[in-house]
Amino acid sequence: MPRLHLGAWVDSGVDFLQRHLSWLFDAISALVTGLYDGIHAVLDAPAPLLFAGILAVAAWWLRGLLAALLAFAGFALVDSVDLWADAMSTLSLVLVATLVTLVIAVPLGIWASRSDRVSAVLRPVLDFMQTMPAMVYLIPGIIFFGVGVVPGIIATIIFALPPGVRMTELGIRQVDAELVEAADAFGTTPRDTLVRVQLPLALPTIMAGINQVIMLGLSMVVIAGMVGGGGLGGAVYRAIGNVDIGLGFEAGISIVILAMYLDRMTGALGRQVSPLGRRTLAKARAAASGAAKLWNHRPQPAYAVTGAVVLALVAGGLNAFGGSGQPAAAGADAVGKGRKISIGYIPWDEGIASTYLWKELLERRGFQVEAKQLELGALFTGLAGGQVDFQTDAWLPVTQAQYWEKYGNKLDDLGSWYGPTSIELTVPSYMKDVTSLADLKGKGDRFKGRIIGIEPSAGAMGILKGKLLKEYGLDGEYQVVDGSTPGMLAELKRAYEKQEPVAVVLWSPHWAYASYDLKKLQDPKGAWGKGDGIHTLARKGFAQDEPEVASWLRSFKLTEAQLTGLEAKIQEAGKGKEQQAVRSWLREHPEVAKAA
Amino acid sequence: MSTLQAEHVYKVFGRRPGDAAAAVRALRSGAGRDELRADGTTAAVIDASFRVEPGEIFVVMGLSGSGKSTLLRMLNGLLEPTEGRILFDGQDLTSLSRRELRHVRSTKISMVFQHFALFPHRSVLENAAYGLEVQGVAREERLRRAAEALELCGLAGWEASWPDELSGGMQQRVGLARALATDADLLLMDESFSALDPLIRRDMQDQLLELQQRLKKTIVFITHDLNEAMRLGDGIAVMRDGRIVQQGTAEDILTRPADDYVASFIQDVDRSRVLTADAVMTDPVAGSCACGCPSVTADTPIADLCAVSARVPHAVAVTDEAGVVVGSVPQDRLVAFIGDEDRAPVRCAEVAA
Repeated sequence: MPRLHLGAWVDSGVDFLQRHLSWLFDAISALVTGLYDGIHAVLDAPAPLLFAGILAVAAWWLRGLLAALLAFAGFALVDSVDLWADAMSTLSLVLVATLVTLVIAVPLGIWASRSDRVSAVLRPVLDFMQTMPAMVYLIPGIIFFGVGVVPGIIATIIFALPPGVRMTELGIRQVDAELVEAADAFGTTPRDTLVRVQLPLALPTIMAGINQVIMLGLSMVVIAGMVGGGGLGGAVYRAIGNVDIGLGFEAGISIVILAMYLDRMTGALGRQVSPLGRRTLAKARAAASGAAKLWNHRPQPAYAVTGAVVLALVAGGLNAFGGSGQPAAAGADAVGKGRKISIGYIPWDEGIASTYLWKELLERRGFQVEAKQLELGALFTGLAGGQVDFQTDAWLPVTQAQYWEKYGNKLDDLGSWYGPTSIELTVPSYMKDVTSLADLKGKGDRFKGRIIGIEPSAGAMGILKGKLLKEYGLDGEYQVVDGSTPGMLAELKRAYEKQEPVAVVLWSPHWAYASYDLKKLQDPKGAWGKGDGIHTLARKGFAQDEPEVASWLRSFKLTEAQLTGLEAKIQEAGKGKEQQAVRSWLREHPEVAKAA
Repeated sequence: MSTLQAEHVYKVFGRRPGDAAAAVRALRSGAGRDELRADGTTAAVIDASFRVEPGEIFVVMGLSGSGKSTLLRMLNGLLEPTEGRILFDGQDLTSLSRRELRHVRSTKISMVFQHFALFPHRSVLENAAYGLEVQGVAREERLRRAAEALELCGLAGWEASWPDELSGGMQQRVGLARALATDADLLLMDESFSALDPLIRRDMQDQLLELQQRLKKTIVFITHDLNEAMRLGDGIAVMRDGRIVQQGTAEDILTRPADDYVASFIQDVDRSRVLTADAVMTDPVAGSCACGCPSVTADTPIADLCAVSARVPHAVAVTDEAGVVVGSVPQDRLVAFIGDEDRAPVRCAEVAA
């Protein structure tokens, strides 16, 4: 079979679109961002518990007292695990995606229900949209829209559109043909037939479709977290990156709470808006008695609205008072004046350390700093697209050469702050007979044929798989396991404690060399190439926008002792306390704060 | 008042647009329905012509697949005839635009369906008011008129109920009220009573006849039940395989079936309830008038005639409205008629002796 260059064609197609339709993507991006910001501003404004109260009143009205209590308890839980802001971002993301999806899906569904030809054309397209792994949409999504919420929302829309269209079409098509004929026989116009007969009768099915859209949207937000979508998805992605079971569970349960609330409420809303459903409800309520009556008690809409409004007003009032007490930016160094800077980082130890160091330093000088954890590819596209201002962890010129080649012309190199580095395969010192890469040959069985790798997008992994294994003839005998840095470190720790054979991809500087007794495998053929410097890369134009920050970054330097010390400090403090660790480290090393 | 007329109406369903016209040409030159089916076209109605006078109930009778429902749907333009014209109120419906056709449907023609086709998301009153809502009648007025129509159909007090709370017969009354509320002159009824229980069906037939006495609508009624056709129809058309095989009054069809098909059909009909004295009487027998015995009129059903004949010792006199004798029915003739026996009486040796 000749190789079809399908991927290449799609690639060049995407390039073409990016070159010629960027205005369109910018417009879409601006629209979606505007929608998201608007909704997010509203949802995020009230105090968490008050807003939970409003949501509970809505649940009370739609489903009854028990649902209200459970909803309140659920949202209180989200707040108590400190994920409220993330939950609201996620909710905004889902709402925007749902809104846009419905605006597209319902008319499409109506169109498809009226024309067999449209339906026939649409069906395979919808199949394609629904079954293509949703992550695939993120790739062109990032290229067209940059990292942030937009590609996540767009991917969600594409992924969630099919059930919306299908259920609308199905709902309308399954309306009894005799009823449509009856409407027709009384001279109803096609439009009125749709509005008076078909849509009302299709409503339960359409609402089920909307419910599906929301659920799919929620399932997409985790994936959107990978491209800087933030919210609970970001928390989950962070948890995966750090192998943090606790955070993962908390974020996961928050998503579940949100999902259950949205699912039950849209289900109830479906019954509420459809005339048939309303009748069934009224009957069921009349039949209920005793405790069931109390649990299912639902306030009159007027009371419900009043309750929600009062809570909303209280919320707004509290927020207004709370807003006046914002902490003033500190000191005479406050050149930032609250300007925003966003730093992107990959969860590698030196990246986390330097990023949080800079976050702290810049915040002391009055900037508002946002630290976004991103996937390496997303980080470079984000920088090139201008959504991220700078990153401090580019390994150049060797390891990340492929990224520099692709994006270098859209980036500014603010110089190296640490070097030289090295990348190596490392084994514990108790592996007495292995000292060089060449020694690995023939010992595949002992290592179970595995070399524990890190993120597949890391440059080291490319060199290892593409060049090093071949040069040392390890091809076929060893397999490089894709994973993550925390995963690799966890595996190293596990094996080290049991004194098992293990080979990992590691680099210097790294705190692991201080914590364990390890041996870097020699590379007599020089396959790893020369050492890198760790560079700070900024988006094109950042140096002009923030000349002081750029000059601070240019003059930034750390020694190996300083860096490993900082890394160890962060490692000690634990997840979520990076910035506290940086602060206490800075107290011990005032010279760094001064120098920068 | 308005007359409904169908002139050489054809309806052919074909896959391609050109098929239908070609099929009509083939049918005109004598091709059969089966030959067309081989080409993938279906001739649902072939050369149907009839005329319905104002205030008349015209029944189209046929088995399923005979094309009667298709024919009905061409009468209000839900289906467009492939050939031929439908004239209503002097207007050729086939020449109207969609918009004009909708206007005619909303004001002049209404329809009652086999499975009632009530809107489940509307109350009984809102269902009855539907046609008026389409016409754009103001809410208060249309609810008032809908309530009147419901009362006319014996549903006063059920306005606030929902269709699924009603029995089948009551649901069809709502369907009837919905059709009557618009004050349309022409009522199309598509097997409207077929889905009902026999007893309810009979009630509904009686009610329709009673309403018709008062309202004098023009009604086209579709059924597969010949008894129903005989009971309701002023004129009956029998359809088979898309063609109208016989048209006439109930008596015409019972006494002079046009072909074996119609004849086999009428076997199960209770002739004594459909046929009247008119069908069996002969010239007046001299002297049968002055005796003062009970007499009958020409439209007395045979069943009732038998009851009279059983008590009268001679031929029963048939009189007109003024009491003038127009004919007589001898008992042997009556018995022969019911027994469908047209041979001469046999001679019995013992009686003769």
